[in-house]
Amino acid sequence: MSERTLLNPHSRNEMTTKARGWSGRLLTYLILVGWSLFTIFALSWIILASFKTTREIFREPFKFPAEIQWENYVNAWNSVRLGDYFINSVIVVAISLIILLAVSAPAAYALSRYKFRGVALITGLYIMGIGIPYPLLFIPLFSLLTALRVVNTLPGLILVYVSLSIPFTVFLLTGFFATLPGELEEAALIDGCTNWQTFRYVMLPLAAPGLLTAAIFNGIGLWNEYQLALVFINNPDNRTLSLGLYAMQNAMQYTGDWPALFAGVVIVMVPTILLFIILSERMISGITMGAVK
Amino acid sequence: MKVSTRFLAAMLLPASLLYLIFFLIPTAQTLYFSFFDFSGFGDDKVFIGLDNFTELIGDDLFLLSMRNTVIILIFGGFLIFGLAFMFTAMLNSDLRGRRYFRAIIFIPNVIATIALTTMWSYIYNPRFGLLNSGLKSLGFEELGKTTWTDPSKIFWAMLVALIWIFVGFYMVLLLAGSDKIPMEYYEAAKLDGASQVQMFIKITVPMLWDVITVAVVMWSIAALKIFEFPFAFTSLEPVPETYTSAVYLYIMGFGQRTPIYRLGYASAIGVWMLIAVIIVIVFLRRAMRRDVVQY
Repeated sequence: MSERTLLNPHSRNEMTTKARGWSGRLLTYLILVGWSLFTIFALSWIILASFKTTREIFREPFKFPAEIQWENYVNAWNSVRLGDYFINSVIVVAISLIILLAVSAPAAYALSRYKFRGVALITGLYIMGIGIPYPLLFIPLFSLLTALRVVNTLPGLILVYVSLSIPFTVFLLTGFFATLPGELEEAALIDGCTNWQTFRYVMLPLAAPGLLTAAIFNGIGLWNEYQLALVFINNPDNRTLSLGLYAMQNAMQYTGDWPALFAGVVIVMVPTILLFIILSERMISGITMGAVK
Repeated sequence: MKVSTRFLAAMLLPASLLYLIFFLIPTAQTLYFSFFDFSGFGDDKVFIGLDNFTELIGDDLFLLSMRNTVIILIFGGFLIFGLAFMFTAMLNSDLRGRRYFRAIIFIPNVIATIALTTMWSYIYNPRFGLLNSGLKSLGFEELGKTTWTDPSKIFWAMLVALIWIFVGFYMVLLLAGSDKIPMEYYEAAKLDGASQVQMFIKITVPMLWDVITVAVVMWSIAALKIFEFPFAFTSLEPVPETYTSAVYLYIMGFGQRTPIYRLGYASAIGVWMLIAVIIVIVFLRRAMRRDVVQY
């Protein structure tokens, strides 16, 4: 076995676990392929089922539908109103991201590039927020939003989304800003820029990758979440897409319309899966950015 | 660098204001509320001191939710990290399609939890679900009639789904970390005759220690606040067997079909969750100190 490694100085592989001989490799491939097949199969199955009739789902789980039932999607979009909810989600997520980045970037910049009294304390307070579980905020926030008369509204939800995403985003961006070289700031200041101009026109553009990562992460998280929407939105008109799917799932016991439910699942899944396929490298490097130095 | 306080304040103010008003102060309020008994209707807030907490200790449902959360954290955590390490090792070996495997194993983490609960409820459905249909078509008639979602099994069924979801995330972290380990270490070890296991223990784990620490902390926080999957996994209301602390908090505070609105009691659960996070993080920081691991 070790002859193999000595004879192959160019292969990058022989490190962590080199599968010895054929049986090791076979087992490795079997496990990986098995796991992957399961995932692909389960996902494809749902997509397939969204084009079937209810009967076909019950009777013939593994076959292709006799005819593609586009109406499942039409039902989900219109009568179940997932179309409206889709738009709500787009609005809420887009606005939340804009506000989130607009407030977090300056804060992260201030915390990472300047030394002043209390910087460690403030940074620590922000990071502490990452460990605070959302559920314990449900009740006080519900009271607060009610007092502000924005409970049950999309703006209220946006306020919550932004505020709860601040700790992680500030943490991410401070890490990012800290990696930028200081000479550029000094050069800008020498050239007569104000602090604000330095930030806005010199450092911020350099931070674009970090901002993009923060946008992707938070964007996907907010699009997918239904926990907060569940607490703060009771009015069906204002539901977000994920919350709409949750409501649809609950309604299943009355409607029994499985195909439309699967159509709803596909509508919810597809945007993020597509985003992932397009951006997978950036996403994965984003996750690891904070964790791996 | 010369900088005016006004500038700093302006940069920090918007985020800090939002954070203070909608995050920090509510956190403190939860603590405050936990000492009261009230329902949010009418202004009756009755101060009852630690009564909520003493009641929690004797509350079977709360204890069940705690047990479930802890099992997810520890048992689930071991399985998730075990599989994540295994996949990391596999994907680090000379392998074709590494990118694809990594993407497929990771992909559940970009899909909405609510979509995944629908998918898994479907897989486990006793009459026409994928699992039973598959078992039956493979000839396991009896097994293919199992009600995977009945109370004795549903928690474990859910745990399987949770593991399937999270393995990819932690695998990606470990992979990124292990990419940075220089090959020379392994080559030198091999020349010295090290076995795979030895290389793993003596090289991979120590060099990944920082990443592992971050990953374990992330998982702990995530596990302690798991809500979305258990809450939507059973068709209408979550059954007690799938309660986690977060789910129980929601139910006590907002009720379900039957309104409950015990806001003070729910806040006490929230305080417990916060204490749990603090305890776990303090414990992990001690247990995973660098000098524990010899180089």
